[in-house]
Amino acid sequence: MTGATSLLGRHVARQLLARGDEVTCFQRHPSAVESAEVLGDIRDADQVAAVMKGHDAVIHLAALVAPQPRYDQAYAVNVTGTINVALAARSAGRMVYVSSPSVAFAHAPAVGVGALPPTYTGRDVYTRTKALAEIAALRSGVGATVVVRPHLVWGPGDTQLLGRVAERARAGRLVLPDGGRALVDTTYVSDAAASLVSALDRTGDDSTTWGQAYVVTGGEPRPLGELIRLFLAAMDINSSPRSWPAPLVKLLGGIVDRAWWGSEPPITSFAAQQLSMAHWFDQGETRRALRWAPSMGLEGGLAQLRSATRNGSATT
Amino acid sequence: MAPSRGTVVCVHGNPTWGYLWKNVLTTLSSQWRVIAVDQTGMGYSERGRPRRLGERIDDLVNFCRQEVSGNLVLAAHDWGGAVAVGAMGQLDVDALALSNTAVSKPEHVAVPPLIAFSRSLSSVVCQLTPGFVWGAAAMTNRQHRAALRAPYRGSRRRRAVRDFVADIPVRSSDPSFMSLVGVATVFDTSRVPTVLLWGGRDLVFHHRFLSDLRRRRPEARVERLENAAHLAPLDDAWAVRFEEWLNSDNSTSEASSPGASLLQPVIDRAGDESSVYVGPDGTVSWRELALRSARAAGALRSAKIRPGDRVAVLTPPSADLLVTAVAIWRCGAIPVVADASGGLRQLRRLLRASGCCAVVGTRRTLAANYVGRLTKAPVRFSMTQLDRGVPSNEEIASTSGSDVVAIVHTSGATGPAKAVRYTHDALVAQRSAVQGLVQLGDHEAFTTSFAAFVLLAPVLGVSCVRPDIDIDKPSTLGFDELLATTTLASVRAAWLSPAAAERLVATAQGRKLPVDRVLLAGAPISAELANAVSSVVSGEVLAPYGMTECLPITDGTSPTVVGPRGGTSTGRVLPGVQLRIAALLDDRDLTASGEWGEIWVAAPWMSDGYDGRDLSLAGSFVRVDGVRFHRTGDVGYLDGGLLFHLGRRAHVIATAHGAVASVEVEGPVAAALGRRVAAVAVGPIGAQLICVVVEGASLGVADVAMTDAVRHASARSIAAVVTSPLPVDHRHQSKIDRTRLSRSVSDFLAGR
Repeated sequence: MTGATSLLGRHVARQLLARGDEVTCFQRHPSAVESAEVLGDIRDADQVAAVMKGHDAVIHLAALVAPQPRYDQAYAVNVTGTINVALAARSAGRMVYVSSPSVAFAHAPAVGVGALPPTYTGRDVYTRTKALAEIAALRSGVGATVVVRPHLVWGPGDTQLLGRVAERARAGRLVLPDGGRALVDTTYVSDAAASLVSALDRTGDDSTTWGQAYVVTGGEPRPLGELIRLFLAAMDINSSPRSWPAPLVKLLGGIVDRAWWGSEPPITSFAAQQLSMAHWFDQGETRRALRWAPSMGLEGGLAQLRSATRNGSATT
Repeated sequence: MAPSRGTVVCVHGNPTWGYLWKNVLTTLSSQWRVIAVDQTGMGYSERGRPRRLGERIDDLVNFCRQEVSGNLVLAAHDWGGAVAVGAMGQLDVDALALSNTAVSKPEHVAVPPLIAFSRSLSSVVCQLTPGFVWGAAAMTNRQHRAALRAPYRGSRRRRAVRDFVADIPVRSSDPSFMSLVGVATVFDTSRVPTVLLWGGRDLVFHHRFLSDLRRRRPEARVERLENAAHLAPLDDAWAVRFEEWLNSDNSTSEASSPGASLLQPVIDRAGDESSVYVGPDGTVSWRELALRSARAAGALRSAKIRPGDRVAVLTPPSADLLVTAVAIWRCGAIPVVADASGGLRQLRRLLRASGCCAVVGTRRTLAANYVGRLTKAPVRFSMTQLDRGVPSNEEIASTSGSDVVAIVHTSGATGPAKAVRYTHDALVAQRSAVQGLVQLGDHEAFTTSFAAFVLLAPVLGVSCVRPDIDIDKPSTLGFDELLATTTLASVRAAWLSPAAAERLVATAQGRKLPVDRVLLAGAPISAELANAVSSVVSGEVLAPYGMTECLPITDGTSPTVVGPRGGTSTGRVLPGVQLRIAALLDDRDLTASGEWGEIWVAAPWMSDGYDGRDLSLAGSFVRVDGVRFHRTGDVGYLDGGLLFHLGRRAHVIATAHGAVASVEVEGPVAAALGRRVAAVAVGPIGAQLICVVVEGASLGVADVAMTDAVRHASARSIAAVVTSPLPVDHRHQSKIDRTRLSRSVSDFLAGR
């Protein structure tokens, strides 16, 4: 599997190892996973082809998730890298490609929809390249490919979502459009990992799932403001987000898009839209096809987050 | 058994053929010789020169004279009806069955658009292309379409289809006009027992054509097949009902005078000086009611109001309303009791659909009728004009059991407002059912917050006291206003809407209302409200279940009992009511299982259907094993003999884990919070989320404490807790419009 250094990658690798699979992790930096490991770069087709030899399947998680990457860099990792992995996967025969629900973002709320086609062509570089990558994965890979789009993965040790929320909340800089009224669904990390393991099994035994994309979420949408409140409470952070009118936040996002040249902008118009619109998905088809259902859920995940906070490992 | 009873000759219309009578042949063949002719030039009969209506009539007469001896029954459909009726004038016919046809174009009714269009382009539509044939075939089930089209392949074979359309007389200059006038005369003067087996969803020969036939032959029996379209004889039920009618003892309905039985209390008590109505506008005694209604009936009769005519009643609840309604019944006409609470536009839609030929009202409502063009009725009466009438010597007009005698508008609190039709038999049956609930003696009275219930007084033979409030605002009816009614007459029962009941509780100040029973109706009653009302009433509190289409359904006992699946008891199902709990997905019968589903009811006092031609209402009445049920659109279940009401079917939340009734979620949450709440659906069906809306000043996400309290109180997974004003209906001020609320909450939570 690629991308084992991420939170989700670690969980997937450990779940695979725990059930007795032989796992090789392939990424640029050493991961904390106790498995066979090959360091390398997915942008190099030869390296990818070499490491794939002798394997039955690949889970492709690696992606460039910098806040504001340059397009060519993101394209090289997300699209070219995915094509390299997909081509190499022909020798393995089975592939799970990890995408994102935002590849179908149409600048409108997602209310109980399924996995729509990856049509995003907006300004967000990550999402745009991921949309191309999803198409590339299905076009250039093997027949037995399943695309999984986990939505807002979080859990203890999460430096991305929870880490940033915590950091901004502590600094009193956390702002939600309209108080965070939009219904948003999230996925606890071990549930998301389990869905990828299930998808891997489906590439071997259920051809009706091949070539399909599935959005994976916990299936418990909450208003964004309530979610943030639950997360902050579980992390013992005593701060409440500020509420700004959604049009103002979107306007600021638009200005930042055009005028900001720092490394990590405070807001982008993409983020403003994502935060002010509902994102939750119909999980019926996903659960039936992948034969998977979340076991931790929101409640279980929050309990894990609370105990991690007591151990001091919530966002590290 | 060999066919013995006689011959049934079936005459099809245009552009069908003998195939139309397929079901009649199979159903009747054991007892009757059934002949389904193909008219000359049509179906598989010989093609020839164009034939006019008169020639077709002659063809049929000659055929019957040659082929038939013994009893002869004619069955006809579409323009075959004109042919058959015309032939009837020259034949000895024993019975006539007509389906979706006409013997003339009724006044003020447009030529059916399909025919008008086909006439103007008859060659293209009817002959050069198969459009007309296909269009007609499309009006039935898929299984029949190929057969209906089969004889008309090729434009030469469709020649007669075009000629037939071209021959339909529209103007007096058309060649066949006089033939059709002759047909109408034969029909009007005939004494042949006649049944009108009518497809209720016909867009070609719609209800106005049925009305025209009924006006011409009021004694004809009418059987409506609500779900059948234009090609009604192909409907499974048509032949069955035809056979039932043929087998019934007297082929026509008995024209005794059961109309009198509806007005029996008015007739019996014509000399009684005690009051039938007491209200802020004055008092009217039984004697005055008999006198004034006779005068008003005279006025209506002198304006040529005939039995079966519809009269729009724009009179607010008052003594005048009683006089007006009784007068209309005396004429055998049909009062259309208007409800203005849904706004003028809705009122206009309903009144116009009913086709009223006269309108009665106050000066104010008649002005509204004129300005708002509510009806096209040419005759208008104010109360003064009615009171100037001269009682005629005519008997009280006779209405038969299945005749429509009243049309009552629903409030539109649940779905679009509808005009509900009641037959004579249903109203008479309703009298005893309601009497069983209110249990009033001859000189006892009831009071009510429901405007139309005032009309029950003369029918029940009891008195009614109208409280001194604006009856369109039931929430203004408080304890003092109700107490005042009890001083005016021997008021033993009060029939209240939930809004009025809430106000009664709020204004009681420790007093108790001295009545025997309070009946709550109009919306699901919560156990808390029933309890609260019990504490301010000296008698019992009942919450019987029912709706304009069928009232009452249960006896309303145990209104404080909360059921195992939520909801409050509406009591035991009344004797005579057939109740069915139907599964939401496939209408399976769940009645015995205790599971919840849609409530279907059948009762002798049920409405016979909706007036007008609104196709969206076609499924509201359904037939199961020969019993006609009203699909109430409510959901509920039976437990221990009690019926529990779980709200509206449209408010059921279709989650990924199955259907959840809104009331089931709301009950425990409302009890825990002590506030009004509504559970609404957000998202697409099958993946819907449950959101709880707590009544509040404006739309917003609920605060932390309230959110936690709601989640704690509910056993279900709640996606979001929001506050919002709760939209309620005009009339009862208590039915929460969860569909509308669901839309606004969905938009709010989507970030739109």
